[in-house]
Amino acid sequence: MSHKTYLTHMTHHRSFERSVLQIISSERELKKINVVGLGNILFGDEGFGVEAIRALEASGSYPESVTFVDGGTQGIYLLDYFESCDALLVFDSIIPVEFEPKVYKYAKEELPAFIHRKMSAHQMGLSELLGVAKLHGREPKEIVLIGAPPHNLDLGGGLSDVMRGHLERAVEMGREVLESWL
Amino acid sequence: MAKKIVVDPIPRIEGHLRIEAKMNDANVIEEAYSTGTMWRGIEVILKGRDPRDAWAFAERICGVCTTVHALASVRCVEDALGIEIPTNARIIRNLMEATQHTQDHLVHFYHLHALDWVDVVSALKADPKQASEIAQSLSSWPKSSVGYFKDLQQRLVSFVESGQLGIFSNGYWGHPAYKLPPEVNLIAVAHYLEALDFQKEIVKIQTIFGGKNPHPNYVVGGMACAIDPNSDTAINIERLAMVKKIIDDTQTFIDQVYIPDLIAIAGYYKGWLYGGGLGNFMSYGDFPETNLHDYKSLLWPRGIILNKDLSTVIDVDPRDMSQIKEEIGHSWYSYTKGADKGLHPWEGETKPNYTGPKPPFEFLDTDKQYSWLKTPRWKEHPVEVGPLARVLVAYAKGDPMIKDTVGMVLGKLEVGPEALFSTLGRTAARGIECKQTAGFMRHFYDQLVDNIKKGDYKTFNSERWEPSTWPKEAKGFGYTEAPRGSLGHWIRIKDEKIDEYQIVVPSTWNASPRDNRGNSGAYEAALKGTPMIDPSKPLEILRTVHSFDPCLACASHVFDMNGNEITKVTIV
Repeated sequence: MSHKTYLTHMTHHRSFERSVLQIISSERELKKINVVGLGNILFGDEGFGVEAIRALEASGSYPESVTFVDGGTQGIYLLDYFESCDALLVFDSIIPVEFEPKVYKYAKEELPAFIHRKMSAHQMGLSELLGVAKLHGREPKEIVLIGAPPHNLDLGGGLSDVMRGHLERAVEMGREVLESWL
Repeated sequence: MAKKIVVDPIPRIEGHLRIEAKMNDANVIEEAYSTGTMWRGIEVILKGRDPRDAWAFAERICGVCTTVHALASVRCVEDALGIEIPTNARIIRNLMEATQHTQDHLVHFYHLHALDWVDVVSALKADPKQASEIAQSLSSWPKSSVGYFKDLQQRLVSFVESGQLGIFSNGYWGHPAYKLPPEVNLIAVAHYLEALDFQKEIVKIQTIFGGKNPHPNYVVGGMACAIDPNSDTAINIERLAMVKKIIDDTQTFIDQVYIPDLIAIAGYYKGWLYGGGLGNFMSYGDFPETNLHDYKSLLWPRGIILNKDLSTVIDVDPRDMSQIKEEIGHSWYSYTKGADKGLHPWEGETKPNYTGPKPPFEFLDTDKQYSWLKTPRWKEHPVEVGPLARVLVAYAKGDPMIKDTVGMVLGKLEVGPEALFSTLGRTAARGIECKQTAGFMRHFYDQLVDNIKKGDYKTFNSERWEPSTWPKEAKGFGYTEAPRGSLGHWIRIKDEKIDEYQIVVPSTWNASPRDNRGNSGAYEAALKGTPMIDPSKPLEILRTVHSFDPCLACASHVFDMNGNEITKVTIV
């Protein structure tokens, strides 16, 4: 992170903390928010979601009503995190329709929820978790997905430079979403 | 000319299972080739490490069949170092293993496999009143009212109508190989959703004894949990009561939902008896009532059945260097002494040697090397492992509980034992076994409570914890019957460090490529002879492969906004 970026980062960080504190001091009931990062950090850019929530969590302090979850590739085991909150913020690597190299944000109504055909139990993805939560009638009131398209999915090596470059924007978007919810 | 069909989940993106099948003009599969497209390599990571740490690494091979690698690993180190574990540790390990089986089988059936038999979209046409009548005729499960099914159907309708129908139709819904009436489809969808909910409860047992799930904590020499009825932080009366409640609910769910569903669904597919495959079956056995290496004390018996001959169960000894060998004639590995001879895991090697095409590619050269899986064989025989193998070995050995349940299921379906040698038989065996392991959960819970009542709180034996007490060199074998089949860990320890570690997992037995004599592995053999109604929607291939519950390394989950299928099907 360059010096300049770091400063910007810190400025955002402080203003965010202030806003959070203001809300906490107002003593109204806070929404239960789950922030879930999906992906496999061993597969290059596939780990974007996990890296993004790590960066988001490190960038500020949050009330107890916000839970950060490194969802990895746990698939079905994450169902409880999808069904047990008022608002759900998910970070993942995504294949967007137009595939531009940038950070995308999708609201609940834009997200496809469906049941995939799978080869193994490992393959329960975001769409299926959303689908099942919906069919259970326990879909969170608010859902936002933030993600970017992967460039390199080779084993090892972590995020590509392009994807790493998206982290700051993703964190910024994540903070905006959380602020609007808190 | 023979046509080829390839089923490969997201080629390039993830390491997984890939199936290439050759069909004749009548769309019947003539040959099938199974490929593991990713190298595991945990064996290499383990070399040079402290043997007491091995379980923590090995357990992370998989996040679905968690627990089992930790168990096999601590067992092989304890075997090498001559460590006896306390009675409580043996019982707790058995209880966690039985829990893992029960939960894993339930999840597999409803979450992965049921949709090969159940057409979700057809459930929209169901009459909730009739569904309710059918459900009540199947079992006494309370969630079976007209209102319950009506409400679910409405949710399903709004789900499908929420503008995502195009995506929903990406499944093989409406495929002519689906045979269930709409009402049975609706019942199955209801139970699919209930099972996903319920499995969350079962895994709590792992967290009570193992601290967390997935990847609960183990320790060489026992278990890493303390028992103290008077402590708030140890296994106490309150925790045990919670375990008991979960076991009660689990048995109810299996008896009232899983088994009746299995019988109801299988009843409509009795004519589809493909996928039998090798006819050779192996089980190492598991659930020791005394010492792990006292094979007579295993609740699940050990043995081998060849050529579907249920009159003879042959002994298997994984320590005998002449019995189990891993061949690499069709795998991307090399052996120091040449690729033509198999090696017993105690003399095994893990040296990757990729000779396949540069990805992305269309086809593999299946005459040469085509998989990252080695080819394990028992005395040169390919064998199938897993629920069907275990149920058949126990059945052939006359295990009374298994004979009862198998008899009940076959009786209700009005078929003979020969029907077990099929894809559906494998699926039925998993349910039969799930009922049995839920019974084991209760059995081991009772044992644990009895032992604690005697005042025995010991869970860990520290006698050989310090490396100074170890021999300079040692070798050990640890095993378990994992949900997907026989799992073996073989270790060599030298100067307090791991010198060599070899893992032969169930899916290596089942998904292995051809052996050095050209004989197919279990998946390959099971697919042969299967007719396909529509090769562009290879539902039949998925049915058979799913019936083995494939477990190939860890998948990735790139989220596709276009809603594309993550499994690619190519036909040439």
